[in-house]
Amino acid sequence: MSQHARNLSRRDVLRAAAAVAAVGTVGACGKNDDEGADPNGVVTLDLWHGQVDLGKAAIDSLIAAFNQSHPKIKVVGGGGGVTADSMLQKVTAGLAAGSYPDIAYIFGSDLASLTKSPKVADLTGQLKVDGYWPAVKDAVSVKGKVRAAPALLDSLCVVYNKKLFAAAGVAPPAAGWTWDDFVATSKQLTDPAKGVFGTGWPGVGDEDTVWRIWPMIWDLGGDVVSGDGKKAGFDAVGTKALETLDRLRTDKSLYVDPKPGSEQLYQVFLGGRMGMVATGPWQLPELKDAGLDYGVVPLPSYSGKPITISGPDTWTIFDNGKAKVKAATEFVSWLADPAQDLQWDIKGGSLPITKATAEMPEWKKHSAATHGLDVFVTALDTAKVRPTISTYPQISQHVGEAIAAVLLGKQSPADALKQAVDQCNQVLAVPS
Amino acid sequence: MASVVGTFTVDPRSRAAKRRARGEGATGWAFVSPSVVLILGLGVVPVVWSLLLSFQVNDLVSPSQWVGLANYQALVKDPAFGSAVAHTLIYTALYVPLSVVAGLAIAIALDRKIALIGLYRTLVFVPFVVSAAAQGVLFSFVLDPEFGVANSLLLKVGLPAQGFFSDPGQALYLLVAISLWSGTGFCVIVYLAGLQGVSTDLVEAARIDGAGRWGVLRHVTLPALTPVTIFLLLFQTINALQVFDLVFVTTKGGPLGSTTVIVYFIWEKAFKTFTAGYSAAAAYTLAVALLVIGVALQLYRKRVAGR
Repeated sequence: MSQHARNLSRRDVLRAAAAVAAVGTVGACGKNDDEGADPNGVVTLDLWHGQVDLGKAAIDSLIAAFNQSHPKIKVVGGGGGVTADSMLQKVTAGLAAGSYPDIAYIFGSDLASLTKSPKVADLTGQLKVDGYWPAVKDAVSVKGKVRAAPALLDSLCVVYNKKLFAAAGVAPPAAGWTWDDFVATSKQLTDPAKGVFGTGWPGVGDEDTVWRIWPMIWDLGGDVVSGDGKKAGFDAVGTKALETLDRLRTDKSLYVDPKPGSEQLYQVFLGGRMGMVATGPWQLPELKDAGLDYGVVPLPSYSGKPITISGPDTWTIFDNGKAKVKAATEFVSWLADPAQDLQWDIKGGSLPITKATAEMPEWKKHSAATHGLDVFVTALDTAKVRPTISTYPQISQHVGEAIAAVLLGKQSPADALKQAVDQCNQVLAVPS
Repeated sequence: MASVVGTFTVDPRSRAAKRRARGEGATGWAFVSPSVVLILGLGVVPVVWSLLLSFQVNDLVSPSQWVGLANYQALVKDPAFGSAVAHTLIYTALYVPLSVVAGLAIAIALDRKIALIGLYRTLVFVPFVVSAAAQGVLFSFVLDPEFGVANSLLLKVGLPAQGFFSDPGQALYLLVAISLWSGTGFCVIVYLAGLQGVSTDLVEAARIDGAGRWGVLRHVTLPALTPVTIFLLLFQTINALQVFDLVFVTTKGGPLGSTTVIVYFIWEKAFKTFTAGYSAAAAYTLAVALLVIGVALQLYRKRVAGR
């Protein structure tokens, strides 16, 4: 037998290595089955918050306070190494690899597609959703179940530059104004010689291009999808909304931001070269820093009735074992308590997640000190949210292309809309 | 029985040698195992995994479903993929020849002994060192349609303002121009190195035989540079077909999909619409195309070398 003893052949080594690799992979998939607590009963939570600057400072101080008051839970706010904009990609890659955080900051428009993963915890009955604004409740519910906790709340209103209005001799806008007023005002404010635009719109066709058009659609009686969810809901009224954008374009009163991220749009406004811009409350700290003399009015409508959109972001919890889910739920509930909510809102630029917070004297004081903040809060009463359906990202993509085509003057509103409706109907025809 | 026979027939010295050899083999494998694991883990496994992925409907989060070749069939019919391929081919067809020809021209111009030649060579190479992300940000500022330097210069000389990255008809060509600005420097450096290897004896002989500048270039320099040229063609083609970072930073495939190249299409399908299987099919199509181009150029080079 001994002469049959072999050298370790190349094939053997490859086999062994493959086995090691396979075990490694399986091991990675199979981890987290334990209850998640260490021998001392302390549960460590991995939080990917994606915040920067003010938001990071706010969440970091909240985490420190939580860890202090909850000795059995240790939240580690590593941030995941990405900003909120890239969180979906990072988390998806993590889910595919079997290594994901316990809590992540997920945009509301991405929540529904993410809940297709069985790893997203179901929080139905775990959170005090009745205290939230109605829009918030809708934003965290997918197919009738609560799938996340609200993280940040905003609403879309129009911020205007008082100096430019005075220079153009235009009366400042007031609540109850219409899109016709908006178009006319924008035209009056425009001054090509000085490089001043009436207003602006993100032009790359991403979600920031799209979400601003939904309040117009809702106001006209349309919706993102039809009642049965099988067709686009904006086929009848979408053309009118796009025509409003087309008028702004032909008037040359519209600055179309060509860059992804819409940073430049706001830079143009902050630089005093744009009369009005639709934006959220997160912009107020920057406006204050820039020393701009601004006013805030609700979004215009066609009917004259107030309506706007809110795009809440969420804390989504991932299942890394029962103990971790329980601890994570405790953490996000704690964050939404008025005492913490208030700190996060004041430092991080969010609106109060619960009405209870909005009633607090500290919030009222903060609101009084921040010019225009009350307009954003009042707008929440008439704010709607995008539907939490997994096809929304695709619908957004097609509608975004239509809006971009109109903003760039490449398609007529009717043609662009027809194409978008056809594409969305195709997307919605696939059962999901 | 067998073992007894074995004991008798085997010369003890050769057994010792075998044992030693076995020991050496194991030691050898111990030394290379880290790199074997790395290559398997980071190279082979993902390649195989994405091949399997391309036969599935997979959104990376929920359980996948085997669909055979359906992803590839859908890919053939998808007009968005068709236009992504077209954009990539236009980009490649412009970028590769222009960068190689310009690189050769500049390299020949810089292949002489004049004052400050080191400085000139460095300056030509500097854009190549700038990362694609930084280039993208830089040119987004320069080419901004409303507030950029480029348009204000155009206006000063009386030309109409351009849309640049906002104009679907211009964006792709601008990307080619930006890539040329940075990519040509690489060709220059490689050609400069190649030019040092052109035999001065041959050049001198050609001169004595009455060849002019053009004659020397055509009949001596270019043939001597053929291996370098083929390498550059292959390298630049692979780079061009894989362009992504510049697109991601400047246009995100827009406006109106006019700069959606194949790799951006792959990214979009995997991480925006979460059709990872479909995306993997597109990635494999690109990989096969790259393989075919690479092998074809290798064969051509062998034929040239054999002549």
